[in-house]
Amino acid sequence: MSKVGMLLLACLAATSASAADVPNVVTLPQPTPAHWIWVNDFVFPHMVSGKAMLVDGDAGRFVGELDTGFGSMRVVPSLDGRVIYSPETYFSRGSRGERTDVISLYDPAHLSFISEIRIPPKRSSNLPMMANAQLTDDGRFLVVYNFNPGQSMTVVDTQTRKFVGEVETPGCALIYPTGNRSFFSVCGDGALLNTVLDDTGKVKSSDRTRPLFDVEHDPVTEKAVRVGDTWYFVSFGGTMYPVKADKGSLTLQPTWSLLSEQEKAAKWRPGGLQQLAVHGSSNRLYSIMHQGDLFTHKDPGRDVWVYDLNQRARVQKISMQHDSGSIQVSRDAHPLLFSIFIESNVLDIYDATSGKFLRSVTDIGTTPTVLVSP
Amino acid sequence: MKWLDQLVEGSARSLAKRTSRRSMVGYLGALLVGATAAPLLPVARGATPDPKKPDPKAKKTDDPASCDYWRHCAIDGYLCGCCGGTQDTCPPGTQMSAVTWVGTCHNPLDGKDYVISYNDCCGKATCGRCMCNRNERDTPLYIPFQSNDYNWCSGNGTANVPYHCSTARIVSAAR
Repeated sequence: MSKVGMLLLACLAATSASAADVPNVVTLPQPTPAHWIWVNDFVFPHMVSGKAMLVDGDAGRFVGELDTGFGSMRVVPSLDGRVIYSPETYFSRGSRGERTDVISLYDPAHLSFISEIRIPPKRSSNLPMMANAQLTDDGRFLVVYNFNPGQSMTVVDTQTRKFVGEVETPGCALIYPTGNRSFFSVCGDGALLNTVLDDTGKVKSSDRTRPLFDVEHDPVTEKAVRVGDTWYFVSFGGTMYPVKADKGSLTLQPTWSLLSEQEKAAKWRPGGLQQLAVHGSSNRLYSIMHQGDLFTHKDPGRDVWVYDLNQRARVQKISMQHDSGSIQVSRDAHPLLFSIFIESNVLDIYDATSGKFLRSVTDIGTTPTVLVSP
Repeated sequence: MKWLDQLVEGSARSLAKRTSRRSMVGYLGALLVGATAAPLLPVARGATPDPKKPDPKAKKTDDPASCDYWRHCAIDGYLCGCCGGTQDTCPPGTQMSAVTWVGTCHNPLDGKDYVISYNDCCGKATCGRCMCNRNERDTPLYIPFQSNDYNWCSGNGTANVPYHCSTARIVSAAR
């Protein structure tokens, strides 16, 4: 027997002593567990190669990722959890060539590409916000904010998986859904543009409110969160502006402050990229807080303050392990609080009810932006 | 973080505490390159030194490669001066965005306010050097002409291409 043959026999003998590794690719449990989180990353130093990373919050384990193209915004999981939508931009030669914008569809069980829907190449490229892309309440239409610098919305039918058309929203930005066929946008003068679609995704009506926000003296951020029929916008100075959608109309509810007079004097204020989060069933609002002057509205904080939205009162303070710029709370009955910062890549995980720090997961991307629950 | 390691030394602005991404925001009324239009933005409404007097305490603000350079008061991106260009010229092989937004910055060296046009340089992958984010008078995305969170390289018909770095051109003295 040749030396090679003897070597092969020896290898077979060795492997027979234990089970051989079988080449395989991981399949993920479905539906995606509530304690998993999507960490979106627009990879600012290398913007052509954005991605979204999936992390298991209970195990502190990196599960996998999606590659989401130039200036990556954020993934939008379908309501039934069977598809992940991702608004994406590509250039035909990497950093040059023809620009193509698409909605990519991914299979959440395999994190694999399914298909794509071409949309006009005008998707807004900006610091990612949740309100850049939203589903209507029944999940039928995906709406994407455009800016070039004309402002409009791209509407995609998720049922037919086709581009429906554009909705012009001159002077108004972003998407805040209010129903199965309705959403509003915030306008430069502090008014809201209320858009209602028909069953084909075309505009049925479009009405503009009077200015509801004080954009001159204390503007609200665009990082609003929603519980039921109410969107909660917070101003640079910490004033909460609840906007209620009721029977087709948008009304500003009584405002209130996240801060006491003493806290204002001590320069406490909300800040961050994704500075608010909510746990709907317990009606809790979470806000990243820091001490700083005017125009520190994008600064991270080492505190997250928790409010009871019914009482409009703070019920808890959570001290963060690291600077926090983006937070998210899982939707289940025993929620986790996730925290990350665009200039770090450590994902911190807390018990959202007690505030107890649980674990960190390191090396999560490059410039993580918004956190999305599956 | 790797790219933070490349931040300009000596920044007193605690850049690691900033979160937003870049500048170059536009609006229908934004300036064209080389235009001499009147200022579009209100001057500072936040706490600033007396604009009439030079600030003797001003330090290192005459260095265009510094994030603390006075023109960078509302910039959000990579400084073109660190990427082969200068504060008013784009690096070789890139193209300057034709439309952008303007800010108003206070020059402590002469005590005057100036209108600054933050044109992006476009058409190559992100420079990745000298990240700088300052948010003086920055507003949310729904007020585009004062927000530094948009990418103007992708909003311009002649430069619908990747973002590389940001300039900070003086347009005129503010009124």
